[in-house]
Amino acid sequence: MTMTASRKAGLTSERRSGRPGRLRRPAGLPWILPAMIVSVGLLYYCIVYTGYISTLDWDGASPLQRPVGADNFARMLGDTVFWRALGNTAAFFVVTLVVQVALGILLACLLHSRLYLKTFHKVLIFVPVVLATATTAPVFREMYAPDGTVNGVLHAVGLGDLAQPWLANGTSALIIVMSVQIWQSTGVVFVLYYAAIGQIDTEVLEAARLDGAANWRIIRSIVWPGVRGTTIAIAILTAIGSLKTFDIPFLVTGGGPSYATEFLGTMIYRVSITFSQAGYGAAISVVLLLLAVGTAIIIRVSSTRKENTDV
Amino acid sequence: MKFPAIRLRRTAVAAVAGAAILAVTLTGCGAGQAASNDGGSATKGTINWWSWTPTNDVAAGEIAAFNKEYPNIKVIYKKVPIENYAASLKPALASNDGPDVYTVYNSGAYSAEVFAPYATDLTSNVKKMLGSDWKSKVYDGGVKAFTVDGRLVAAQYAKAGAGMMWINQGLFDKYNLKPPTTLDEWVNVCKTFRANGLGCFREGVASSGFATDTLHSIVDSFKPGVWADVVSGKSKWSNPTVAESLEMLRTLSKDGILDEGAVGLQQYPDVNNDFLVGKVPMIQMGTWYQQNASLPTLTAALEGAGVPADTPKITLMPMPFPDVAGKGNPATLFADVDAGNSVNAKSKKLNAATTFAVWLGHSKAGQQAVTNSLDSLATLNGITPQWDKIQLVNPELQRPALEKVTADLNTATESRAFGISAEVSQAIIDACQAMLTSDKSGADVAKDIQAAAETAKK
Amino acid sequence: MFETRTIRSRVLLQILLAVIVLPFVFPLIAMVQGSLAGRGWANYQTVLSLPLLPGFFLNSALLSAAVILIVLACTTMAAFGFSKLHIWAKEVYFWMLMVALTLPGVVLLSPLFATVTQIGAFNTLWAVILPVAALQIPFTVLLARNFVDGIPSELIEAARVDGADTIRTFWHVMLPLMKPIMAAVLVLVFINSWNEYLLALLFLQTPEQQTITLVPQFFVGQYNNDQTKVLAAAVLTGLPVVIAYIFLQRFFERGLAAGALK
Repeated sequence: MTMTASRKAGLTSERRSGRPGRLRRPAGLPWILPAMIVSVGLLYYCIVYTGYISTLDWDGASPLQRPVGADNFARMLGDTVFWRALGNTAAFFVVTLVVQVALGILLACLLHSRLYLKTFHKVLIFVPVVLATATTAPVFREMYAPDGTVNGVLHAVGLGDLAQPWLANGTSALIIVMSVQIWQSTGVVFVLYYAAIGQIDTEVLEAARLDGAANWRIIRSIVWPGVRGTTIAIAILTAIGSLKTFDIPFLVTGGGPSYATEFLGTMIYRVSITFSQAGYGAAISVVLLLLAVGTAIIIRVSSTRKENTDV
Repeated sequence: MKFPAIRLRRTAVAAVAGAAILAVTLTGCGAGQAASNDGGSATKGTINWWSWTPTNDVAAGEIAAFNKEYPNIKVIYKKVPIENYAASLKPALASNDGPDVYTVYNSGAYSAEVFAPYATDLTSNVKKMLGSDWKSKVYDGGVKAFTVDGRLVAAQYAKAGAGMMWINQGLFDKYNLKPPTTLDEWVNVCKTFRANGLGCFREGVASSGFATDTLHSIVDSFKPGVWADVVSGKSKWSNPTVAESLEMLRTLSKDGILDEGAVGLQQYPDVNNDFLVGKVPMIQMGTWYQQNASLPTLTAALEGAGVPADTPKITLMPMPFPDVAGKGNPATLFADVDAGNSVNAKSKKLNAATTFAVWLGHSKAGQQAVTNSLDSLATLNGITPQWDKIQLVNPELQRPALEKVTADLNTATESRAFGISAEVSQAIIDACQAMLTSDKSGADVAKDIQAAAETAKK
Repeated sequence: MFETRTIRSRVLLQILLAVIVLPFVFPLIAMVQGSLAGRGWANYQTVLSLPLLPGFFLNSALLSAAVILIVLACTTMAAFGFSKLHIWAKEVYFWMLMVALTLPGVVLLSPLFATVTQIGAFNTLWAVILPVAALQIPFTVLLARNFVDGIPSELIEAARVDGADTIRTFWHVMLPLMKPIMAAVLVLVFINSWNEYLLALLFLQTPEQQTITLVPQFFVGQYNNDQTKVLAAAVLTGLPVVIAYIFLQRFFERGLAAGALK
């Protein structure tokens, strides 16, 4: 404590004496510049460009660009497909978050216990994270086809009545899209929880065991509160990821049937590329960006709590 | 005071940093300057050709034939998957490094019209090749589709037709069935197939527009000419014929003709594979499907479907669309120009690119190379596949049938996709899906198509 | 963690673990099965005999290596700067960087193309390297900054007292301590840059420049679709990343753990 106080004193006095290169906290700007130039420079041009295009009626190719102000945004508010996509995004976010968190915590707990083949299981869960969506999507389409593997298994175990064209039904198609996402990213959630749980004090666990606490009680009262920070981080990243979702619905269902699996990403693609309405697509992109920025602010707010206070 | 001085210096550093970032971003602004060049030689050089069709093998064959006449022009073919084609082409052409030759379609997201601002006018080059009466020597549908504001922006080279169906002759023979010509016959035929564990008529209505052809066929069965009127704008989508045709689509599903789960299937690869391996006896595809009558192509396709090498090769036969309306109207065929090559006005090898683009569609050798692959019809009059060079699965049956299809198509007057905008095309897919998954009436669904058509009008 | 003293509970938990992991493995098996359908290993032979395949692998490797280097350099420096150094309006810059995290790929196509061609990088690997790196950096900086926050500032003070300037401090004190997070960043960035598809498709024109992710398109036609070879290509593409993960797994976990928010 005395050290801190004296350091603080030393800091202020040094600042006032104005010797730049020798400050306790030297200028950090040059250090962040490379990252800023590469990321911000490249990507902010894209943002500004998109914002500008959203006020145009333009097909993305011809030199003819007609300014229409906020018309694209007005159209979006009245577009049922847009609201459907937002609804799907919200449902997608909630379901994937709940399932991934549940699975992640459960698996992390299991793999912290004395069981066999732990590394084997850990690797298997993470392999889906590593594979590109473009390569795994056709596999899922084949699995859920009317004469695909899933129905085949149902027939084999005598549940043939349940066999149906899964991708042809709006609700089941959305569930399938969610399940592919869960398959693909539970690995990351698991690793984060595994690490966080590893940092829970074993003495607390021992004490709870001695008190006769059952497994479920331990999860509820010790593990869950203990990994709160991780859960918040995962929630925010899942929210942003849900808004950006494109690959899986695009490749597995094409956004259908009847827009049951339409997301903002697929809508932007359809509008900008297929319909050649670059302006409208840009408007949707702007809204997506704003929604995501709102969530980014939440990241910042929540991470400030964890931030090491500079001395 | 030194304190403000440091503050100022740090602000200056921040400002410079900010300006640097801004400068980098702004270098991205501004349109590319037009390439100033003379176009290079017409018989020498390396050019880049982008397309979604043909396959790499077929393209290699076409380029090889081209090099027989023009050995010094190297053509690098880049096949872009069809679902990424429009997205890839737009920015490429906007830059100074786009392809020299790029293929365009007759409508939709990658039509000749959409990319016309980047294309050169090929009229004089075609005239040089075929003479001033060139228009009479080629498919008129292609001339119409590829002439934008009086300029010929693409040299057509492939034509496709649709409206017919294709059957697995072996399966029909096995159960002693004849191709159905009416709705009742169709229902009975399907009953037999299903009783034997097969599908019947399978179609993928998930995202691609093949169901549009089916709807088109049904509309023509009710009242010929209505579809053409609607597309051209003379009539509305919300007319009774379209409504009852949509209801008929639902009937096909309810009566056991159309396999269930259609809205979850993709025509390629799901339905295609199912048909080729013999799970399904009937599908609706266009003239490109005749390539599966060729033994090598079918073998490769079966390999792609992942079935053992000794799977029996089906005998593919065309079949006219049954008269589902029961009004005695004959089955129709409709055709379109399927592909044409545009030359990028910014190309540095403009002349060589033009040579290739025009050659593929307007020279006998080029057209022969295109049509011998069987996946496209020729756009140059008088060119037909050289059947003697093609190895068919069952030549006695298939050759006369395929020749007849090509001949019939020459008399087709209706367009397949030309004139249908991307929005309307999507609306038609949505309509078909709605008929198959909901209880909305055909009339209401037809109104939705009309609404989409009206908002899409520029 | 869980009660494993009785044999019964051990068996039950082991079964539970297997039951949960099974659905994850199932599609992987389906994928390999699909790639072997039809001609079996001959599918792999066909894919491997693509003349330019070694070139594709090399380009993918170069791309990943370059992206990893750029991202590691930018990230470690930026994490150090944001966490330990003084920057006027630091949070504004950080916030700007985080906003870039929120961009969906689809939005970037047109403007990225304009920028890339303006720099003259079209049809070079740089056209893919720079955007991919730019897209990774916000997330990796987020992770790394949290990690560096956990490194006690006393260590830097100690170095300062010993007379080291900032650069020396960074090189000799920070970097060795940042090893776990660098490993985590390396694995994540490797996965994303190896699997990059859309940008490679847009910007890489000639086969000599193309990456391994573009191999499946050789087998997909407009009117035909060679699923078996596409899957074989997919398995071959995924193999290096899986192998890399298995080897780096331990470092990765440590790095991610320390970088995560507790």
